Amino acid sequence: MSIELEEIAEFLKQHHPFDLLPDEEINALPKRLQARYFRAGTKVLSPEQECLHLYIIRTGGTETRDPDGQLLARLSEGECFGVRAMYQNGRAANNITTLEDSLCYLLPEKDFHDLTGKYPQFSYFFAKMGGERLRSGMQLLESRDDDQLKLMSVKVSDLIARDLVSIDKSASILDAGQLMSKERVSCLLITEDDGAVAGIMTDRDLRNRVIAVGRSYDEPVSAIMTEKPISIDPDQFAFDALLTMTRNNIRHLPVMKDGKAVGMITTNNLLARQSLSAVYMAGRIGKLTTPEDMAKVIAQVPELLSHLIEAGATSYNAGHIVTTLSDAATARLLQLAEEQFGPPPVPYVWMAGGSQGRQEQTALSDQDNCLIIDDAYDADQHGEYFKKLAEYVCDGLHKVGYVYCPGEMMAKIDEWRQPARTWQKYFNKWIEQPEPKSLMYCSVWFDLRPVHGTKSLFDELHRMIVSKAKDNRIFQAYMVGNALTHHVPLGFFKNFVMIRGGEHDKTLDLKHNGVVPIVDLARIHALANGVESVNTYERLNAVKAFPSISNQGASDLLDAFEFISITRLKHQVRQIRRGETPDNFLQPESLSAFERSHLKDAFSVIKNLQGALEHAFGKSGT
Amino acid sequence: MGLREKILDSRLYREFIQRKATGPLRTYYDVPPADPERSVIETEFIALDLETTGFDPKKDEIVSLGWVIIRQLSVDFSSCEHILVRPSKELSESSVVVHRIFDSDVADAPDIGSALEHLLPQMAGRVLISHHAPIELGFLGQACKRCFGAPLQIPTVDTLVLALRDIRRSGEPMKAGALRLDTLRRNHNLPPFRAHNALSDAIAASGLFLAQIAKRDPKGELELDRILR
Repeated sequence: MSIELEEIAEFLKQHHPFDLLPDEEINALPKRLQARYFRAGTKVLSPEQECLHLYIIRTGGTETRDPDGQLLARLSEGECFGVRAMYQNGRAANNITTLEDSLCYLLPEKDFHDLTGKYPQFSYFFAKMGGERLRSGMQLLESRDDDQLKLMSVKVSDLIARDLVSIDKSASILDAGQLMSKERVSCLLITEDDGAVAGIMTDRDLRNRVIAVGRSYDEPVSAIMTEKPISIDPDQFAFDALLTMTRNNIRHLPVMKDGKAVGMITTNNLLARQSLSAVYMAGRIGKLTTPEDMAKVIAQVPELLSHLIEAGATSYNAGHIVTTLSDAATARLLQLAEEQFGPPPVPYVWMAGGSQGRQEQTALSDQDNCLIIDDAYDADQHGEYFKKLAEYVCDGLHKVGYVYCPGEMMAKIDEWRQPARTWQKYFNKWIEQPEPKSLMYCSVWFDLRPVHGTKSLFDELHRMIVSKAKDNRIFQAYMVGNALTHHVPLGFFKNFVMIRGGEHDKTLDLKHNGVVPIVDLARIHALANGVESVNTYERLNAVKAFPSISNQGASDLLDAFEFISITRLKHQVRQIRRGETPDNFLQPESLSAFERSHLKDAFSVIKNLQGALEHAFGKSGT
Repeated sequence: MGLREKILDSRLYREFIQRKATGPLRTYYDVPPADPERSVIETEFIALDLETTGFDPKKDEIVSLGWVIIRQLSVDFSSCEHILVRPSKELSESSVVVHRIFDSDVADAPDIGSALEHLLPQMAGRVLISHHAPIELGFLGQACKRCFGAPLQIPTVDTLVLALRDIRRSGEPMKAGALRLDTLRRNHNLPPFRAHNALSDAIAASGLFLAQIAKRDPKGELELDRILR
């Protein structure tokens, strides 16, 4: 390579994301470039103008404005424009005007796509730029992570999971509803007589445009469909689909090629992409026959978690997916136990408590579980069976990687393997005669979720818990007192108060000082208002409607929970990457100034809502 | 343009020398020259620089050539070429000091005839861009005469002449070094370049040319004739 071209390569190497490309690739790049020069004030691109190159600013600077004239970005040396055109058939999306005399290098579209196809991290950088406006500050932070994920290079066509379900527009609403139910879809494509797309109809439409307004089911679907739905081309990127859906606040997006519908994608498809490997892992667990083999699959959970986080999964998604695997292992062990010890003499249900119950597990967690047995249970007759079953499963889970609960809240402990009537007594006592010790159980046993067995056994108990907890002010006050013992690590001047001395010197405990206080707050508001959900997001979303917490307060808490949880997960992912054991102790210096200030805001939210909690319920006990 | 250049660039002169040309130069002349009435954006250019053993085209020789093609006012880096030329005489010490091209470097290089055979098809139908064109024209002309029996005629844009016109038009006094390639590039907000060889200078001149055109007409619709030397 000649020296002048070497200089271009050197220039590229100094700028992100070209620095992510291997040397041989970057050295070959200058030969594919062109140079163009624009005087200050030249309109280089305007919306819909053909743009078959990615522009890399060599000297000078430009301004990006959307078609309405809104300023979107100012770019300078080393930055790129024309990115959106690369993703939308060579048509520029915005106005680009030079602010100074500028020399630009132009990379042909084809070479651009060759590179994005070959180098996911390179692709990810640009896919993100294309939708910069969509992304909140929090998400933008991720764009600097080098080892980024591939979702953004996945084509829409790869996301189409199943054949399109469609119905003629003259069909009745009843027919449509029945078809949706039969096909188990949340959205139907409505077609003209000649097969062309007339519109779409979703389950939301059934609710809002039929049931809520008392419309007759005999009317044709054309009366309630959305005409000319927003659609997407199969060659566009998954990212574009997400962008389109978010922008238009829709959850279903028909995929159209040459005017014909070829599929439908939903927000779930986009997530399914990430959870595919989790589904596969769960499927494998279901086929294994020893805890040792299951342990090998569960050992990949940290890896899965780091992929999920890189893919931009929320902590809610990640928690659900990771918990799915614990559930799969639990259910499989119970099956194996039943194969070994015979079918259960009386019905039972295996319950998960704590973070597994809430579906908020992170990297590996310990086990919290119990057994609720049918009231036909006779200790003399059936005790031995369930003891063996519980021991088999708890020991199995321990071997799989879910270590024994330090508080011994496990089904293998006699106390936690009881008929429903005994459980009723337990909860009665905890709620009506609260004492400090019973508060310890709150965080585990008030977050129960059935995992395997006869789930109806839990229903009655659950109803009782919810209705009793709702009416008992003393119990609530005890819980508040307990919740307020978790202090948020913020000083008077909004500085971090860190752990001092010991192994975790100068760190923040994101679990006990961040996640747990919010989980506690959500639990109290949920129980006090008769909300049945146990998941923290679902609880907070549900309590928005009640007066014990303001709508804004609940929303703020949701944001704070997401931020702290995701910060914790990212911290764990970094540790996993470095081959360390993941923990909850974060050094604030490892965060950017931006993240630190967000974290402080999140802690302040908790502090404020803890204050409000005391005000709403009073405080008692501890 | 002086009378001599006017004659040398005239169609009549071209027809006269064309008949004497042989080999690749003959083929070169078979392609009609760029039309001076067409717009700059529709014209193809070849920015070229060469290094020599001295300043006298009659005595000194070309040791390297570098060029790049410009289409649609866009420098196409895929067209970049840089070739060393083996001179007929041994390289003088002063020449080696300037270019850092040694006898050993050019031992296996093509002679000027083969180099021209490669270059001439690239020049056919295009307009030459050079910073201080008399050097390039002088040496290439001499080489063509020696190898293929006739001088070289090519429509030429001299970036130095364009710069001179800009300075005169601005009415500002000429500063020392104002016409140097790196000074001019800096004034047009072009990146600094390291003057290493014929190709780096050719590319540097191509960038300056784009800037000079953008200044005259951002769309490049002005007639070629207005910027020829």
